[in-house]
Amino acid sequence: MNSRYLFGEAWAIAKSGPRHTAIAVALIALAFYVPGLFALVARNLGRLAGSARQPVAAILTIDPAADARAVADRVAQDPRVARVTIVPSAAALERFRRAYPDLGGALSDLGEAPFPPTIEVMLRPTAPVRASQELVAAARTWPGVDSAESEEEFAKKFADGVRLLRGAGLFLGGLLAFAAVLSVASAVRLALDLHRDEIDIMRRMGATEAAIRAPFWLHASFEGLAGGAFALLLLYATYRGALYALSRETHPVLSLFWVGFLDLPTALLLPAVGAVAGFAGSLLSLGKTRSTA
Amino acid sequence: MIQVFRLCKDYGPFRHALSDVSFNVARGEFVFLTGPSGAGKSTLLKLLFREELPSSGQILVNGRNIAVLPDSQVPYFRRTLGVVFQDFKLIARKTIFENLSFVQSVLGLSHAEQKRRAYQALKRVGLHHRMNSHPGELSGGEQQRAAIALAIVNEPVLLLADEPTGNLDPVLSEEIMKLFAEINIRGTTVFVATHDIELIRRMGKRVLTIEKGQLRDRDLAREVMLAREAPFLPG
Repeated sequence: MNSRYLFGEAWAIAKSGPRHTAIAVALIALAFYVPGLFALVARNLGRLAGSARQPVAAILTIDPAADARAVADRVAQDPRVARVTIVPSAAALERFRRAYPDLGGALSDLGEAPFPPTIEVMLRPTAPVRASQELVAAARTWPGVDSAESEEEFAKKFADGVRLLRGAGLFLGGLLAFAAVLSVASAVRLALDLHRDEIDIMRRMGATEAAIRAPFWLHASFEGLAGGAFALLLLYATYRGALYALSRETHPVLSLFWVGFLDLPTALLLPAVGAVAGFAGSLLSLGKTRSTA
Repeated sequence: MIQVFRLCKDYGPFRHALSDVSFNVARGEFVFLTGPSGAGKSTLLKLLFREELPSSGQILVNGRNIAVLPDSQVPYFRRTLGVVFQDFKLIARKTIFENLSFVQSVLGLSHAEQKRRAYQALKRVGLHHRMNSHPGELSGGEQQRAAIALAIVNEPVLLLADEPTGNLDPVLSEEIMKLFAEINIRGTTVFVATHDIELIRRMGKRVLTIEKGQLRDRDLAREVMLAREAPFLPG
């Protein structure tokens, strides 16, 4: 068996049923686009959650006229507090620009500082569970504190949400990948029926089962690879389309997190898993064919 | 070349395709297998190239007991045989030359070797001038010659043919048989299953007769010949 035969026959198989090949590629593309979209959303949400350098337990918003240092010293006296950081208006704006370079420019046109000064409170790891809420409740009564919010619960819910999204993506991805494997299997079975006579001739001439099946394996793997690649292209088009739409009309929530595409290894995983799914589909289909007669 | 001993083939408990068949074919021999339709000729051929397994008995082909040959060895065994069928078994979407080189590419031969062997085989059957034609563009006789070229392209030690002239007229049948005789003269053992008694008679080769799944101790071709030569006596 040589490569000329292998690739030539795989191409001949694809050409013999172009409609079924196209349908199988489209189904695989769809099967990988949906979980890919989940992965993209989850990644961006995860990026938002992970952008803070250290977990912040509480944020106190300070009256611009008040002495932020005095409030910070008062918070730091609490034995449960590990560290206190004063974030002035300018620093908050700079931080936002660094995290979201595409959106930061939009805030430059504003005459006044868009973010009030805040104090971020980090608790010690030994602090009890409700320490953040107790600290916030006390801080709300202090002079110079406009508002105080505990971040503990939100951070937990946010992380849970991202995890749920990833899980849903994986589940749906698994389900659709299984459907993709079945669609490839049926496309390969059809190709087998179309080439039944040739397979009989090859068997009678002494072709090994591996030589007979290899073009089908290759064909199905390419189908999967093409489907995965199409899913990736579609996903990138969706990402760029959303970016374009958000650049025309900024959305208060979407604009904040829709900032990055999948990293390269995750992106390359789509065609790679597609090829594996295609190969699995061909194994499923070819496994049932008789081997010696 | 072929040694068959007490061969039986059953399809279920009530259908006995072959019963207690024994015979030998020497290396380089040309043998016809004849008998009426349904006698078991095709079953015997299928057993000889290991498309089916016997229910009992032994089959030795070229020194190998194919009844106990492992599945993984069957392709390598078949590479030593050539098989010709009534319905030609050519790949319609490929030219005659591609048909021949295709089966060799499956076997892993180099491109140059494929071309050399394919051309040689087509030349032997006198079809080298039609090598770029598709099977559908050839006459029945030419298609059968192409099928024979396909069968001999690997230079087999044994050529099996199942009703190779079944779709051909008497002139073309004679032509195909002459081709088999030429292949046989070059040293290939030829085993042809046919019910064309006239053809067998003209060839003058050894004949095995099978009826109802059993080998008969009679020469059908000779009987037909004698019957034709008997004087017509009006009643």
